[in-house]
Amino acid sequence: MSAGINRYKADLRELQFVLFEQFNFAEIAGKGPYEGWDQETAKTILQETYRFAREVLGPLNGSADREGCKVVEGSVITPKGFKDAWKQLFEAGLKQIAVPKEHGGQGAPFALYAIIEEITSGANTAFNMYPGLAWGAAEVISQCGTEHQKKLYADRMFNGVWGGTMCLSEPQAGSDVGAAVTRAVKQADGTFKISGTKIFISGGDHDLAENIVHLVLARIEGAPAGTKGLSLFIVPKKRANADGTLGPHNDVQVASIEHKLGINGSATCVLNFGENGECVGELVGAVEHQGMPQMFRMMNGARIAVGIQGLAIAASAYLNALEYAKDRKQGANFKSWKDPAAPRVPIIEHPDVRRMLLELKSHTEGIRALVVKLAAHRDLSLIYQGKDDEKATYHASQVDLLTPIVKSYASDEAFRLCAIALQVYGGAGYLKDWPVEQYLRDAKILSIYEGTNHIQAMDLVGRKLGQNGGANFQTFMSDIATFVEKHKSHPIFGKEVAALGDASEAVVSTAMGFMGWSQSDKVTLVPLSANRFLEMMAKTTVGFVLLDAGVRAEEALAKLGPTAADRAFYEGKRYSALYYGRNVLPQVKQLAELVTFEDTSPMDISDAAFASF
Amino acid sequence: MPIKILVTAKRVEDYESKIKVNAQGNGIVLEGLKYKINPFDEIGVEEALRLVAKHGGGEVVVASVGTKDVHEQLRHALAMGATRAIWVNHAGPLDQMTVAGCLQKLIEKEKPDLAILGKQAIDDDQNQVGQYLAEWLGWSQATFASKEESLESEAEKSKTPALQLSADAKTLTVIREVDGGLETLECSMPCVVTTDLRLNQPRYASLPGIMKAKSKPIEEHTPATLGVDATPKITVTKMEHPPARKAGIKVPDVATLMDKLKNEAKVI
Repeated sequence: MSAGINRYKADLRELQFVLFEQFNFAEIAGKGPYEGWDQETAKTILQETYRFAREVLGPLNGSADREGCKVVEGSVITPKGFKDAWKQLFEAGLKQIAVPKEHGGQGAPFALYAIIEEITSGANTAFNMYPGLAWGAAEVISQCGTEHQKKLYADRMFNGVWGGTMCLSEPQAGSDVGAAVTRAVKQADGTFKISGTKIFISGGDHDLAENIVHLVLARIEGAPAGTKGLSLFIVPKKRANADGTLGPHNDVQVASIEHKLGINGSATCVLNFGENGECVGELVGAVEHQGMPQMFRMMNGARIAVGIQGLAIAASAYLNALEYAKDRKQGANFKSWKDPAAPRVPIIEHPDVRRMLLELKSHTEGIRALVVKLAAHRDLSLIYQGKDDEKATYHASQVDLLTPIVKSYASDEAFRLCAIALQVYGGAGYLKDWPVEQYLRDAKILSIYEGTNHIQAMDLVGRKLGQNGGANFQTFMSDIATFVEKHKSHPIFGKEVAALGDASEAVVSTAMGFMGWSQSDKVTLVPLSANRFLEMMAKTTVGFVLLDAGVRAEEALAKLGPTAADRAFYEGKRYSALYYGRNVLPQVKQLAELVTFEDTSPMDISDAAFASF
Repeated sequence: MPIKILVTAKRVEDYESKIKVNAQGNGIVLEGLKYKINPFDEIGVEEALRLVAKHGGGEVVVASVGTKDVHEQLRHALAMGATRAIWVNHAGPLDQMTVAGCLQKLIEKEKPDLAILGKQAIDDDQNQVGQYLAEWLGWSQATFASKEESLESEAEKSKTPALQLSADAKTLTVIREVDGGLETLECSMPCVVTTDLRLNQPRYASLPGIMKAKSKPIEEHTPATLGVDATPKITVTKMEHPPARKAGIKVPDVATLMDKLKNEAKVI
């Protein structure tokens, strides 16, 4: 099986707009921890990354999907080409772009890293998970580990010498992570013997790096039940000597790999730790019972990364569908459909195809702006850290608030948008000859892993809304109110800005309703309506960032000559904003009305009444 | 033995851009075009970096002629690993004699052991600068340096490179592409080499490379300071798209085909 052709597509002009024109990268670059960065460098890096994605990662996407992973003599063999791609990725330094300088990286702003991730993940979602997990696990060690652990493990993981994983789930402990029973028994030398089974471990074994460092949640003997009794352990596949040379295998066995709907190039493993009583782990940061807060550093990053995966897949699905629609001829123009002699036209001329394409365009652009908004808040919170506490807190709070929205909305929409992109192709889209059916399959996992989208919705309504006494949410809503006030008479977007105002009022009143329920006997309505509330807030946020982009695009357009080549791009931004403002934002008010019905029928119906079997 | 190589980085229209002739019919529409380093030059930079690495170090100096926009291409070569850059600042039309003249003066100043240029630039496909340069310098030349097989093949990866420098850096053996296949030339150094498409596959500019490139020096000259007369000796009077291809026709039999080839197309 050989590598195929690249199908990945990105619109670099659009990526540059979001980064440079909408979220003002120039203000982040060069400041605080981002010393040495500037817009020109970022632009060069985007171009190089796109080239790398098309030439190295993209051609392996389809072939890896068909080939999948296999287990040979207890070890995972990844699809052809992955090993070389891993080597090239780290040689080119792309994965180290946002790695802190003290770990040998370039310390890039997260906003740029988010776009780089969109490109690499879009070109090959399954491949990109291996370096992504190594990066996430390394971040936990670099933030929580001892000095020795940072040097021995994090440095190597950040630079692709070793891989990494996160091991949370167990057969009886999926969403209910507190039910984990993997045991850790303290040894005389301060290390722990680990024993237990972990499932759904992405990249749990692979042949890309010489060693893999697992971060394992386990319960030390005698620790309390539930999440509070969990500790986080560094458990390497092969034991590591202090100088980084490798010792014997550490009794971590691959029991099996899963056969899945999508992301087939990514090995999803069942791992048995300590089957022979020889699995040794050390506490991250040498502290006990801090497993959940430590793991949540990785989880939060991973949730944002899943949102980016959704964006990445949907965006390439859109651009592929667009290319197909311009090329494929079928039927006559709608206005002359009765005339059999009328010329056959490319399907992009058909009204419903155009509607689907604009649905795809506006949503992918809106989600991208949402992702970069979150990333820019994170950069700014670090820039202001220790210099301006108020600003630092504000930006950090917006990251917390937006994380569940990015994860859920981007992932749910990715699957829906891929289905629409497939529809643009008609019957051809259902075939493996075209890339969209794989995108659709790959995208489905996103609403499930790293905390299902319902867990995200409960995180939003149960934790994030009330965080900081509700101030985080209020600041967010007042940012929208300020925008609405400023642009309510905008000559082009006036009506849509008004719809944004209505939507944000609906969000606030629904949030108040939730608080009422929490303190009454209607508490069941909270989980029943949480997903709907998240959808409302996500649509409002995306409408906000799309209108903001539209306003900026109009300003740029006014400065351009009548024949400037960039006009079409900015006009495109106008229609993304108008379409979303007219077709999606008004739904928020309607959704709010549904919430007020306080429908409890899913609870009222008995188990027996669901079906007669 | 350290060697010094001069390479070039011409700024050309991206081959993925759509090129249109302008309304005056004397050039192309520049608005909205994307630019890149000439791919043949990029291959030259790659080969120079490999040669220097193989011969225990040295220097790769990259040069370009044009407005400040060419800094983008110079930085690209620097990001790949070139040591430093020389920019010949010039606005307005340029012909191959001016470019070769500027390079000649730079080479007389820099005294590299070797100059590696793209065999041609993908904008106007002239294929002349390398040859002029070698002639004016009085250096030996090997054009269209190439490899034998597809670069993807395992056999090719393990094969000796197409440019091989002797241990004393006095002779360069070059495999070059000719109409009938390949030929091997031995050139005395210093010499000028121009690159063909299959010579190598240029590396990706690494991220640390891109960051480092920002602080590498770019030295500025102009044709005047180099003593080169930049007045074009060639002027473009007219530019037009090639005629559109006519639709093909089906012929009923071989006899008709032969007849048409003889009498209509007049090709046999």
